[in-house]
Amino acid sequence: MLKNILAGVALAGSLAGGAMASDSPYLTGREQLLMLADDNPAELTMWRGEELFHQVRGPKNASLERCDFGLGPGVLKGAYVRMPRWFEDAGKVMDLESRIIHCMKTLQGFTDQDDPIARKHSSDTREADLVAIYTYVASQSNGMKWNPPMNHPMERLTRNAGEVLFHRRAGSMDFACATCHTTPRKRIRLSFLPVESNVEEWSKAISWPAYRIGHGVVRTSQHRVRGCYYQMRQAGIQFGSDASIAIISYWTHQARGGVATLPDLKR
Amino acid sequence: MNKQNSIAGYALITVGVALISAALIAGCAQPRPDTQAERDFSHMSPEAYAEYLIFRSGSFNLDQATQEGTTAADRMVQDPLQRMCSEARNRPQPELAVRIVGAARDSIVYPEGGIKLGDWRQGAELARSGTGFRIGHNVDDHSRPVGGNCYACHQLDPDELGFGNLGPSLAAYGALRGDSEAVRKFVYDMIYNPHSYFPCTQMPRFGVSEFLTQESISHIMAYLLDPESPVNSRHAR
Ligand code: HEC
Ligand code: HEC
Repeated sequence: MLKNILAGVALAGSLAGGAMASDSPYLTGREQLLMLADDNPAELTMWRGEELFHQVRGPKNASLERCDFGLGPGVLKGAYVRMPRWFEDAGKVMDLESRIIHCMKTLQGFTDQDDPIARKHSSDTREADLVAIYTYVASQSNGMKWNPPMNHPMERLTRNAGEVLFHRRAGSMDFACATCHTTPRKRIRLSFLPVESNVEEWSKAISWPAYRIGHGVVRTSQHRVRGCYYQMRQAGIQFGSDASIAIISYWTHQARGGVATLPDLKR
Repeated sequence: MNKQNSIAGYALITVGVALISAALIAGCAQPRPDTQAERDFSHMSPEAYAEYLIFRSGSFNLDQATQEGTTAADRMVQDPLQRMCSEARNRPQPELAVRIVGAARDSIVYPEGGIKLGDWRQGAELARSGTGFRIGHNVDDHSRPVGGNCYACHQLDPDELGFGNLGPSLAAYGALRGDSEAVRKFVYDMIYNPHSYFPCTQMPRFGVSEFLTQESISHIMAYLLDPESPVNSRHAR
């Protein structure tokens, strides 16, 4: 049923023009989507994530309550909008998805082969635990402003390399992320494209997790990055890799000061 | 004509770049350190670190085979045009723009016996289809024809509502411009290598990259220029 909304909204969005508060067609289409769907199904995922987060699990019989997302063990409020960040205990810059996996390993004793870590994305038939926990932790930053730290040299180098990657054209179609996300008010087919230099648009664009109506499940930042490299016909990017975190670091930096919607609802 | 020479020269440059990067990849096949703390990256520029991330950090599945008979690593290697346009953020200074246009013109290979229009019906399919060349987690079925995905960026048949606008509308393209030799050459050049007119354009080089075959290009050209094609016939109606 939600899927039927899609085409209608996209077309209405392109016609409605400046009738809404914003004159950004990307944001206008988005507002209409939010108005038409009275519930965000991602809330179910968030509640399941909350349960999983507090549940005692894994070989070490522990919950994730002592996991440090950068603001101290167990502090969830505002943690996600201050990521990716440098973690001294891991010796690297991590995004939220990698950090949850880190804690599932160190606190709960799960390994890469165990389903809660091995299953990275949800399918029609099975929602990944990781996606649910991610949705719960992220939701604790809903309505806050993106504000990733840039104090550690690796945080800055990671962001700067992410900027290079964002503009780096390669592959069979000569695409870079910039090809589709730098010119205002443009569409690919019926999808309006958010522009990376427009904080209002970009802070919504990077608001993941989001229930993707077209997919019928909740998707994450890592899933979006993978999809973009796939469409560009470039090499498959690995989940949680340093390059994926560099992209996410740059895109979060570009959204700095804009308000996060967590979880979000997207096409 | 020195066209053949410059094409050969261009190919040589590309091969050279590919070899260098292949050497880079091969030379750095040692197991990578687990944490960033164990390695000192502080001396690296963002550009150098980005190259490291792509080719040596294990971030991409570089070994995956591609339909063009290479590996995914080759897809990540930039050819001179991709590199120049990325560095110029797609706004080349006049001197660079002239060089890019010149190289792009030299890259164009024309079909034997002149540019002919194919079957607009097949062109309609190809202009809609986004199938082809995708790898990663869901490799495209290579037995299906590769589409040009023109609708992603252009309006063509005015009755098709699902069109993008990154590029200009091409509705009634032939009806407005006719089907002269000059128009055919322009459209062919645009599909083959659009940097011959628009240096650092967003539009892919469908001919240079061998994304589309000569036959597919002829069908798509018919879709744009044949008076019977819905791109044009609906205009007259
Ligand atoms: C060929 C055009 C194209 C390229 C290249 C591209 N994108 Fe996108 N991107 C899109 C489209 C179209 C959407 C919207 C998807 C939708 O509405 O279903 C999108 C969506 C997004 C979104 C989420 C916004 C939303 O509402 O869904 C982000 C963030 C994003 N892209 C980042 C990137 C990054 C990072 C890259 C490079 C790794 C990239 N894009 C490359 C076309 C592109
Ligand atoms: C990623 C977006 C994109 C795709 C896909 C694309 N184009 Fe384009 N095209 C453009 C842009 C942008 C321009 C305008 C040139 C510029 O300003 O850079 C253009 C210009 C053109 C023009 C010249 C229009 C004129 O007369 O000024 C033609 C013809 C054309 N494209 C044909 C095609 C065909 C045929 C396809 C499919 C095989 C296609 N394009 C696919 C982006 C695209």
